[in-house]
Amino acid sequence: MKFTLPIILVAVTAGLMTLALFGPGHASGTVGIAAGSAVFSAKASTPEQGLNNLLSDVQRRNWDRAFSALSTTSAGNKQSFIQDWTGSDGSLRSFSSLEGFQARPLHATNDDAQMRVRLHWTTPVGPIEDVRDFHLIREGDTWKVAWPKMQISSVPAQVIPVTYLRWDLVSGNASDEWGSKNVDAPHVRIISMNAVDSAEGAVVMGEVVNEDTIPAFVNVNAALVDGSGAAIDDESSFDKIDHVLLPKQVTPYRIDFPNINLKNVKNVRMDVKATLVPASADPVIGVMNQKVVSDVQGKSILQGDLMNESGQTVNIPHVIASFYDNNGKVIWVSDGYVNHALLPQSGEPFAVEIPRSLANKVQSFHVVVNQYSLGRS
Amino acid sequence: MRRLLTICAAACLGAVCAAQDLHGPTSSTAGEEAAISTTGSGKATFYLLGPGVSRKSDISLGSEVHLQAQDLQNAGEYFAVLCSDTCRSSSFYVTAAKPASLTFLVHPSRVPVGQGDAVSGVAFPFDQFRNLVLTPATVNFQLMAGTASLSSRSAQTRDGIAWFRTASQKSAGTLQVDASLGDLSARRAVQQVASDPCNLRIKGERTKAGILVQTEPVRDCAGNPVPDGTIVTFTATEANGRSTVDAPIKQGVARAQLEAPGATVISVASGVAMGNELRIGAQP
Amino acid sequence: MSRIVMIFALLLASSLSSYGADSAVRVELDSTKASPRSVESLTEQVILRDYRFAWMSVAQAVEFNTLDPLEGAFTGEAKQWLSQSVTNQQRSGLSQRYADQNHKVQAVFYAPEGDVMELHDTAEYQLQIFDGGKLIHEEHVVVHYVVLMTPAADRWVIRHLQAVPQF
Repeated sequence: MKFTLPIILVAVTAGLMTLALFGPGHASGTVGIAAGSAVFSAKASTPEQGLNNLLSDVQRRNWDRAFSALSTTSAGNKQSFIQDWTGSDGSLRSFSSLEGFQARPLHATNDDAQMRVRLHWTTPVGPIEDVRDFHLIREGDTWKVAWPKMQISSVPAQVIPVTYLRWDLVSGNASDEWGSKNVDAPHVRIISMNAVDSAEGAVVMGEVVNEDTIPAFVNVNAALVDGSGAAIDDESSFDKIDHVLLPKQVTPYRIDFPNINLKNVKNVRMDVKATLVPASADPVIGVMNQKVVSDVQGKSILQGDLMNESGQTVNIPHVIASFYDNNGKVIWVSDGYVNHALLPQSGEPFAVEIPRSLANKVQSFHVVVNQYSLGRS
Repeated sequence: MRRLLTICAAACLGAVCAAQDLHGPTSSTAGEEAAISTTGSGKATFYLLGPGVSRKSDISLGSEVHLQAQDLQNAGEYFAVLCSDTCRSSSFYVTAAKPASLTFLVHPSRVPVGQGDAVSGVAFPFDQFRNLVLTPATVNFQLMAGTASLSSRSAQTRDGIAWFRTASQKSAGTLQVDASLGDLSARRAVQQVASDPCNLRIKGERTKAGILVQTEPVRDCAGNPVPDGTIVTFTATEANGRSTVDAPIKQGVARAQLEAPGATVISVASGVAMGNELRIGAQP
Repeated sequence: MSRIVMIFALLLASSLSSYGADSAVRVELDSTKASPRSVESLTEQVILRDYRFAWMSVAQAVEFNTLDPLEGAFTGEAKQWLSQSVTNQQRSGLSQRYADQNHKVQAVFYAPEGDVMELHDTAEYQLQIFDGGKLIHEEHVVVHYVVLMTPAADRWVIRHLQAVPQF
């Protein structure tokens, strides 16, 4: 009798473990759509299973099995395959992990299939979604992913002098006497502000300029005020702004107020804070070939290429774009992170989305590039 | 008899009520000793409360209570209380001593050239104990560029404050601002910097790598060179796209390399100031 | 039932006493004579709020002999001598109570850059001085203060507080 309960507990535990190992995965939903963290199938007899197997191994970082299961027509070697998934050079991808995915077939024949996959990444800057097309081929009775040749930037060895200006902050050794440390905070000014309603809530956006001759660390806050003068909500621009502004540099900003409608708002109180910060005018990043196009999903995007014109690797580039109507008013601000690092003297593509409702009102745009480089102040 | 007893009782009571009293100084200067005289006989407790001071001591009535200089360093109102059977009190003020330092605030630390009433300064005289000296005094303000004196003016302190306001000079450079009161002085520096870029002009040529474009020396409308590090935005617009580069000024000039194979219009801007446009033909 | 009534009465008493503490500091501010810079209406509201908060903090500090209330509202010399007062009170066993405070404040100087303001405060309050728990002195006082306030990160703070015989 006294052993009954322990026996029951052990039996239930063993049963649950067996179920977890060999039972069905989290996949659910419409037939033909593989989703989430799927379980490996011993034999990939359908394109969905073949893709599932690959992405499951990628999730678990089981590179040997993942690479060995690629089609023989795949280009590239194992190192480039792993690097494509894990990133390199301290890029955003190298700090990310694949949390889940959702796939759907684009077209399929007996021997050939194209699948479109929505990849969900967990990153230090929040969840990011990536859409990618995979080509699968049936080899024998097994479907395998044909891996394309990856373009990896090759930067020749060279010496690039750093001649750009750098600003350092010196606190000085003067006493703490009132008025003795006479260095004013940088002078910045909000040059435009526009408040609109969006699907997620109210949005306040615009541009701010550093009117000073020294770099500024800038943050823009906004408070929505109702008719009685009481504050409804108070938010900051967070990362939808280029925080470090060099002299005469202009950045867009966007402040989101989730689940708030502007019909209750009588006034928007803006506040811009600027503090002294050490900074460098290096790296210079060019934004090339910018144009508004439709992506594979039919969404309007602004795409282009970032070109690193300096000798320093930019680990995590961050693109912030402002869109203007024909009156020059800022009607939207979008931002996006580039997964791959910008190597010296080389480029990477970028794309940011434009809301469908605003796409046909966009007359012009302006892109700034924020950047995070490891080991730099 | 009853009347005699009443008179005696009243006299005794009066004697007790008039037993202790204290008289503080009519005024005192910060950092100077003072004394409080007491009357009566017997023991009493003496209290002194004031800015930064809270003291309690046992004394003998009829003697003087010496207030040490360190007890009266802070200017303000002091309360002296003497308690025996009852408590009596007296208050007095301590005023600031003579000026021993000058606090000088000057703003801004950086100012564009040629702006009216752009620089201002406020001076406060304090004594050695950091009490604000409210007695009127004359403060001299002198503006200098290098060793050359630009202007000088005097202002009388009012409620402990003297101030001035002046325009920034036409040329960039360091403006030294001195405030002096007797043999006390304080110096501050204001950086006069170029105003917004004016007449931004660019020139460019097509190279193998793209279009190399650079500005002429960037100056403000008064001819002052705009500081290095100021961002200039180059934009190349062609039929199928646009390229931009935010380039900092180096040695007075900003340069950028733009990718634009087709016929291109190149424009330039810095802050909210715009420059000329360049039209460059397509790559052969 | 009686327990519920007692709890309710305790809660009501504590809420009333806190309301009393807040409403015991009244401040009127006249900024019409400030020069050379005129005081913006938002700044005037903030000064009123922060000056009142400062005097509530002083009252708390000298009554309960604690330094914490002085942290947010004071800086420079004002913070130094108030802290000294409280520390010396702790040593001597004395305390003060500033009750029913009325402050008529006039802004007399506002710097061109807005970085300092001088106020003249005619303050009336009931001053009580205690030795331990024993009241040794009580007086209705009228004190003239010359005050310098400067802007801090998110509020205005008192940098200098000096009592004078008259303005």
